Amino acid sequence: MHTAFLTLLSHYRRHPGQLAMLLLGLWVASALWSGVEAINASARDSYARAESLFTSGLDGLQRADGQPLTRDDFLRLRRAGVPVSPLLEGRLEAPDGTRLTVIGIDPLTLPGDSAFASTDNQADNRATLANFVTPPWQTRLSPDTLGAFGLDLRNATGATPPLADGQRLPALSLSPALPPDTLVMDIAAAAELLGSGDTLTRLVAKAGQLDEAPPGLALTRADTQLSPGQLTESFHLNLTAMAMLALVVGLFIVQAALGLALEQRLALLRTLRALGVSGWALVGLLALELLVLGVLGALAGIASGAWLAQRLLPDVAATLGSLYGAGVSSDLRLPWHYWLGGLGVTLGGLLLAGSGVLWRAARLSVLGLGQAQTWRTGFHRQLRLMALGGGVAALAALALWGWLARQPAGEGLMAGFGMVGFVLLASALWLPPLLAALLAWLSARLRRYALAHWALADLQLQLPRLSLAMMALLVALSANLGVSSMVGGFRLTFLDWLDQRLVADLYLQPPVERTEEIHAWLTERPEVAELLPTRRREATLVATGVTTGAAAESPPEETSLDRPVVLYGITPGVRLMPSWPLLDTLEGRDAAWAGLAAGEVFINEQLAIAEGLAPGATVTLAVPGQRETRRVLAIYPDYGNPRGEVLMATPRLAKTFHAPPRSVGIVLAEGVSSEALGRALNARFAQGSDALQDQRSVKRLATTIFERTFTITRALTALTLMVAALALLASLLAQARERRRHLAPLWALGVPRRRLLWVSLAQLGGLALVTGLLAVPLGIAITAGLVGVINVAAFGWRLPLHIFPGEVALTVTTAVGVALLAALLPALRLWRASPRALLAEETPA
Amino acid sequence: MTHLRRLQRATGLAMAIALCLGLAACERTPAPSSAPQGFAGLGAEGDGFAQAGPNQRLRFPEDHGPHPDTRIEWWYLTANLEDDEGQPLGLQWTLFRQALMPPTERPEPATWSADQVWMAHMAVSRGDTHRVAERFARGHSARVDGQAGAQAAPFRAWLDDWELSSRRSATHDESFGHLALSSFAPHEQGTFGFQLALDAEGPLVLHGESGFSQKAADGQGSMYYSQPFWRVSGDVTLDGETRRVTGRAWLDREWSSQLLGPDQRGWDWFSLHLADGHKLMAFQLRGGGEGGGDYRSGTWISPDGETRALAEDELALSALGESRVAGRDVPTRWRLEVPHAGLDVEVSAPYAERWMPTSVGYWEGEVVVHESDSGERVGEGYLEMTGY
Amino acid sequence: MLDFCDVHKAYPTPQGPLRVLDGLDLRLAPGESLALMGESGSGKSTLLHLAAGLDLADHGEVLLAGESLARLGEPARARLRRESLGLVFQQFHLVPSLTVADNLRLQARLAGREDAEWSAELLARLGLSALARRYPEQLSGGQQQRLAIGRALAPRPALLLADEPTGNLDETTAGEVLELLLDLVRDTGCALLLVTHSAQVAAPLDRCERLSHGRLDHDPRAARP
Repeated sequence: MHTAFLTLLSHYRRHPGQLAMLLLGLWVASALWSGVEAINASARDSYARAESLFTSGLDGLQRADGQPLTRDDFLRLRRAGVPVSPLLEGRLEAPDGTRLTVIGIDPLTLPGDSAFASTDNQADNRATLANFVTPPWQTRLSPDTLGAFGLDLRNATGATPPLADGQRLPALSLSPALPPDTLVMDIAAAAELLGSGDTLTRLVAKAGQLDEAPPGLALTRADTQLSPGQLTESFHLNLTAMAMLALVVGLFIVQAALGLALEQRLALLRTLRALGVSGWALVGLLALELLVLGVLGALAGIASGAWLAQRLLPDVAATLGSLYGAGVSSDLRLPWHYWLGGLGVTLGGLLLAGSGVLWRAARLSVLGLGQAQTWRTGFHRQLRLMALGGGVAALAALALWGWLARQPAGEGLMAGFGMVGFVLLASALWLPPLLAALLAWLSARLRRYALAHWALADLQLQLPRLSLAMMALLVALSANLGVSSMVGGFRLTFLDWLDQRLVADLYLQPPVERTEEIHAWLTERPEVAELLPTRRREATLVATGVTTGAAAESPPEETSLDRPVVLYGITPGVRLMPSWPLLDTLEGRDAAWAGLAAGEVFINEQLAIAEGLAPGATVTLAVPGQRETRRVLAIYPDYGNPRGEVLMATPRLAKTFHAPPRSVGIVLAEGVSSEALGRALNARFAQGSDALQDQRSVKRLATTIFERTFTITRALTALTLMVAALALLASLLAQARERRRHLAPLWALGVPRRRLLWVSLAQLGGLALVTGLLAVPLGIAITAGLVGVINVAAFGWRLPLHIFPGEVALTVTTAVGVALLAALLPALRLWRASPRALLAEETPA
Repeated sequence: MTHLRRLQRATGLAMAIALCLGLAACERTPAPSSAPQGFAGLGAEGDGFAQAGPNQRLRFPEDHGPHPDTRIEWWYLTANLEDDEGQPLGLQWTLFRQALMPPTERPEPATWSADQVWMAHMAVSRGDTHRVAERFARGHSARVDGQAGAQAAPFRAWLDDWELSSRRSATHDESFGHLALSSFAPHEQGTFGFQLALDAEGPLVLHGESGFSQKAADGQGSMYYSQPFWRVSGDVTLDGETRRVTGRAWLDREWSSQLLGPDQRGWDWFSLHLADGHKLMAFQLRGGGEGGGDYRSGTWISPDGETRALAEDELALSALGESRVAGRDVPTRWRLEVPHAGLDVEVSAPYAERWMPTSVGYWEGEVVVHESDSGERVGEGYLEMTGY
Repeated sequence: MLDFCDVHKAYPTPQGPLRVLDGLDLRLAPGESLALMGESGSGKSTLLHLAAGLDLADHGEVLLAGESLARLGEPARARLRRESLGLVFQQFHLVPSLTVADNLRLQARLAGREDAEWSAELLARLGLSALARRYPEQLSGGQQQRLAIGRALAPRPALLLADEPTGNLDETTAGEVLELLLDLVRDTGCALLLVTHSAQVAAPLDRCERLSHGRLDHDPRAARP
């Protein structure tokens, strides 16, 4: 058995290229897959830490009027027997620009069974508490936050690194369970760092301990806060789908290599059978070979995947941070099951790819020795099966589409991915029959042109080998086109939308208590043409109603809800109204704006899709002690916002819901420079420079965030395309010997080598061109699926379908380029081979 | 009586909080530390803190208030009560103060800065039922408006809404003699707590040497006085049900910077109301006596408040039987002898399940006193046992 | 038709250069048929490759139809092969992707001188008419070699080079194939250089030379008739 195994493996010594191709396929497939899984696992670890942070499991209390709470509020409540704990939250900047969340706690009143209690089991020092609550205090942070201070594990504990503003942090103490970029310290230390004086961010209480909010306060239940895990689920599903695509493309290579290695060893297998090795033993040996190769490839792949993830993670973390406000560590943290999972998936995929080979080996007939291959019949049967399978996949895609069309918008993320997957599968399966038919048709037309005829006939012969690589290329190309069109379209839409939304020249974020003063001052300034104050407040959407029937007076059909939403106030002035984008209105833009000024509301697309609301519906909004029903007059796009939002006119929001003021947009008079006003403002109110931002910097920031959002998506599609190119190259290399055998007689018959080279390139280029052309409609279909179904479900907004001729041309060019590149190496080897050697090469048995 | 317990708790304070924070790994087991520091660290060195000593004179009402320059302090009240139906109830209410640093190292009194940690325990027990609650707060000795604190006149000691305070105005001479105690805590079975009026029927009692109570043979000790003559009436709520109660209470005040010797493991502390009007405070500290033996001390208090400090050889204590409580063997039956007073009694807990599952655990419960010879019931009181 | 003048050819081997041809001289007149015999490794195939311009001599000259192959460029040599030569290999070297009919016409089409009638006649004479739409791997060995012969003769070459054309065939089939080959050579009037190790195969040819140690032996039959 040992001998038989070594004999089987000896094949790879003769054909190291096949072994390399096999391992390459396994390696890239598992590298991309495990890279993405590593990112997901690392992000989930961050979410888990964020969710287990004490602040997330606690009910929160804030003042209903939006003013900050103070220590007196805390004392008053405690003295009244209300078990609340003060919490101070703020942002500080590390020297490297990282934004850190500082959480100041009072460990003495913080509900004891909250997760902070498990922060650290190591310290067994009775002095720990005293050290925590007394000067010089301590800063607890996770090791993956150390990078922001340029520290590493060895010198971290006890260090007192400076912040960007020169203040020094209390001595560091490591707590691996804390979320990244989060500093936890005693509230006294935090108050000093943040300069927050008597004020608090909020009071927290054990979940469910308070039956109702104390008078004047608003209660936010822990379970109504969306966890980062929930918010980002769709994003990670996106990544997983991409990784799956890469895995499948990689397995295409593996399947091709395995098929080749088996075909070339058929004689060997028969010989072994004839020498007394049983059929099952052979299958077992082949399976063992698969396992050995699989473990090798998977281990290399997983290691590279971890490396890849480490490279991509900072962008992913930035994306998740900006898109969902979810803190994700940019350091990789991999649980043990990640490594096992990666191995499992790769081996599973390999088994799937190799099952065909094993099946064929199992059915191998000993008497088949020397029997001429009936590949032609076999291939035709295979083509028929592919066409049939493609048809089934297409039907499945159609069925899913039909189902999705009847779902409310925003549902069916999985079904959406399923549909796109089936479309890809159908196209991939249909590709070889299509190519075969095309070649047959063309070759019948070109019979007179000997070389062209030969080239086409020869391509038909190559097709069984090339079809898998071409399928991979088609899938990668169309995914690439689909994603880049989606991103490009999104980019256009997003930039437009930014232009429309950001109408003010300057944005000022004044301290709450000085808002009125600053507002009054600004109103007097001649440089200011218009002020656009905003307000914001958290509220709960408790009911929605749809007016039925023609009579608007009839009572609406109500649905009760408990959905946290943001109330946002804008000033519908002359600058803002004409440009603020609206997707849908009840009775036209003018009526909508008039209605908004009169107290009705607009809602963002996310909320409309999530709750199935259309203009004309009513929403009932509640804040503590207040409950108001308003009519929805319009729906507006709100890209990048994970939350539902209700828009009101600022004065109305202030009056009805007592929302506190937020930033003020300042529209400057004609020809006035923003610097002058900024200086005057600073001189008068001693504002920090970061309180005032000009429109350009806001746009730049938004655009940066946008670009980072899709970095990973782009990187993954590009990598998938590279994998497909590798698949093609590997297929070509694997059949290089055979190609030479086919080309040599032609050369002997008097076709110059240079022409043979060109013909070879033309063959593959032509095949790739057809594939690339087919990828265009497929890519557009995928774009449609992405913007119409998947984005709506994943992000809550719909995008217009944009098609970029440049991207299309690039796709086709890429296809041909990739194919030519892949064909070049084997062709050059042919070019340089001694022709005599070509003729002398033995025909394999 | 219960000072020791308080001590334990107080010492436990830091640990308790550490536990609550999860900053300490010592879990629920009594802290075994490599260097002997006495029970729950109460034997730790008191460097930089004001030390209790035999030459200090107590002054009232000032000494009813806090002594932030010492490491630990408590206001410790226990009561033996009876409801309308004659059913006995017990209750405990304690406020502990622990200084986080010596007076010289105190931080500025900024909004949240703290130099003291406060802890309060309350317990109500009836029959097999024993309800316990615990709370913490930070405070700064320079601020009087904290979440927890104490003041001398008019007397007030509080943590959140748990409060023991005078029912009279500050100018009244008897401000400390008429107190109100109010404390409630939520529980799965229903709220428990109490709202009581306390009236002193006798004078304050100074223990040891004019209030300096030695705690070890080497001279360590605390300032310690009591008001054992409280007459109590009011309402006690248990499992959400409120009953009228009457009975007697005992208040201990104690502060120190180094209460225990480093080798003392724990203590057994008795505060007894005898039927003939006498009161007895007695304790033994296990370890730390002459030659490493136990250290015993006590005060025999006559019905009119005259005291006699009991020296080690004037007091005998021996455990008669143990009960299995919360996974430990705790001696809940004792023989107590004060030969010069002709006292030879058996002190026992009718209900052994009085373990305090607080951040540092200890046993604290009602006891009844029977004459050893006749078996006649001659009193009641509270027993505290730590370090088991 | 074909002239070898003092041709030397050696191949590098790990043991030093292996001299395969060592001052060989050979002449073949138009229409003449010559059998070249010799032991395995005596340089028969090398001689044939040099004759077809598939390889070049180290020294000396190979003239095909009066043109020195060494002085022609690769494209010109390829054209010469396409238009003037027919090659028949021991391994047949058929194009598996083309049908029998297309294989037969391949070289003629490449040379741009397809003669449909002649192709049809060849098919018929080679007994392949019924198999015209089949693919090479569906033919027997004899049929495949006949097809290879047909392919070589379809463009009516001036010289047919055959390398052990019956080496892969059984005796009966070999006889039939050889007979057919000689018939067709005779009918088309092209010259034939046939490499073989079988005297039986060599017998019907005009002339026979034996190759040993890189030169022709002076066999009695080497004299011009």
